Amino acid sequence: MPNSALHVARTGLEAQDARMRVIANNLANIGTTGFKRDRADFATLAYQEQRVAGQQSTNQTAYAVGLNLGTGVAVVGTSRIDTQGTLNQTGNTFDLALDGDGYFQVELPPGGQIAFTRAGNFTISPQGNLITGQGFAVTPPIQIPQGSQNVTISPDGTVSAMQPGQTAPVQLGQLQVANFANAAGLRQIGDNFLVETGASGPAELGIAGQFGRGQIRQGMLEGSNVNVVEELVEMIEAQRAYEINSKMVSAVDEMLRNANQTL
Amino acid sequence: MDRLIYTALSSMNASMDRQRAVANNLANTSTPGFRAEVFAVKAATLRDGSIEARAPARGSVRGADMVEGRTRPTGQPLDLAVQGEALLAFQAPGGGGQAGEVYSRRGDLRIATSGVLENGEGLAVLGQGGGPITVPRGFVISIGEDGTVLASDPAAPQAAPEVVDQIKLVSREGTALAKGIDTFLKVPGGGVLPPDPTARVTSGSLEDSNVETAETLVQMIDAQRAFEQRAKIIKTARDLDEASSRLMAHR
Repeated sequence: MPNSALHVARTGLEAQDARMRVIANNLANIGTTGFKRDRADFATLAYQEQRVAGQQSTNQTAYAVGLNLGTGVAVVGTSRIDTQGTLNQTGNTFDLALDGDGYFQVELPPGGQIAFTRAGNFTISPQGNLITGQGFAVTPPIQIPQGSQNVTISPDGTVSAMQPGQTAPVQLGQLQVANFANAAGLRQIGDNFLVETGASGPAELGIAGQFGRGQIRQGMLEGSNVNVVEELVEMIEAQRAYEINSKMVSAVDEMLRNANQTL
Repeated sequence: MDRLIYTALSSMNASMDRQRAVANNLANTSTPGFRAEVFAVKAATLRDGSIEARAPARGSVRGADMVEGRTRPTGQPLDLAVQGEALLAFQAPGGGGQAGEVYSRRGDLRIATSGVLENGEGLAVLGQGGGPITVPRGFVISIGEDGTVLASDPAAPQAAPEVVDQIKLVSREGTALAKGIDTFLKVPGGGVLPPDPTARVTSGSLEDSNVETAETLVQMIDAQRAFEQRAKIIKTARDLDEASSRLMAHR
């Protein structure tokens, strides 16, 4: 394949395009609660061996070096960068942020598939259940009776409230926090939700603040961990790399045109 | 027919191969720890007559440019940049440890489902014993300057972190390395590199590709123009042939 330099440059264009898409998604989600930025992972593609080192060059001699030509680059995946986002004070009773590792558990309809999220902008359903903005129930379910006042959620997830006619707060339940052997392996399904995969390992449920799980902060929300300056620098880098690869395409194009015209 | 055109053709092929190596380098400007390939053309002189005028060109990738790339802080505790000339040792893919070791400067480590520490290409990093490093679940992992993998129990923040293993850092001094067809650096013909006890790593940083874009673009133009000059030689050969056949026609 004499013109495969074109295809090698094409893989470069495609990879930079994919990276640009990752950056665009990061920037678009700068205001998304609990969003974690992604990083595009590049890897070289396999090589084509055109002449193997050690192969006979003549009867007595062998090639000392092989002719290994690379076939370009690919984005093999994206890694989610799980650093803590900034905690913003909102003052809302049911806005919860995780200070540290871990995820809230949510039951997705239909079928009750369990999803995980760091976006803790919860509300209360008409029946008094703790739900997400989309109306999906938080598990284990937390039921807040009507007329409850001063609902407090402690750093370890204990929910308590004052009931009418009582002087001491009543404990209503405890939120659980899930963590994973490899949280980077969770799969994004959109709407701030993640689901477990073979790579993430099963969820290990427990009490907030224990065994590496973060503490729950009531009245706060975790912002996205996207750093605008970092993304913009990456964007410029991706753009220039794209231009360089397109330059390569036109250089090979010129070579072939020249061969066509001259010969 | 003159043999000149075949000599020129071989060099046209060599410049096209060179262009492909350059394209591969340019495509990998964003691959962490990538080592640029060095393409060299040599003359394969044919000793068939009294004069050695025929020397077809033969190009080959002579190995990798081992110059250090720029280090970029990422803030990720499992991202490693190796200082100096040392390399990280990884288990060669496939073969379950029998396939030997491959070396890389790519240190974007992560924890696989099995608890094995691997890099962004899915290669398991090797410990001092020569096997992969398995980290305990639920522990906070950090990496020391000499490659020591430390695990601290988040439930007991006061306790000293436990040493899991030490990443195998090797020295390439005095040993030739070649890129295999699977894109990884290894010792040609098998063998392993000696450990480097003085090697240091910086955690929270990644080493970029060492492809210098400006230099590589110049190489690209160089290869392009060389290709065109050789095409011109073929054209000149045709002109010469046509001129002599015209001379014959006038008779």
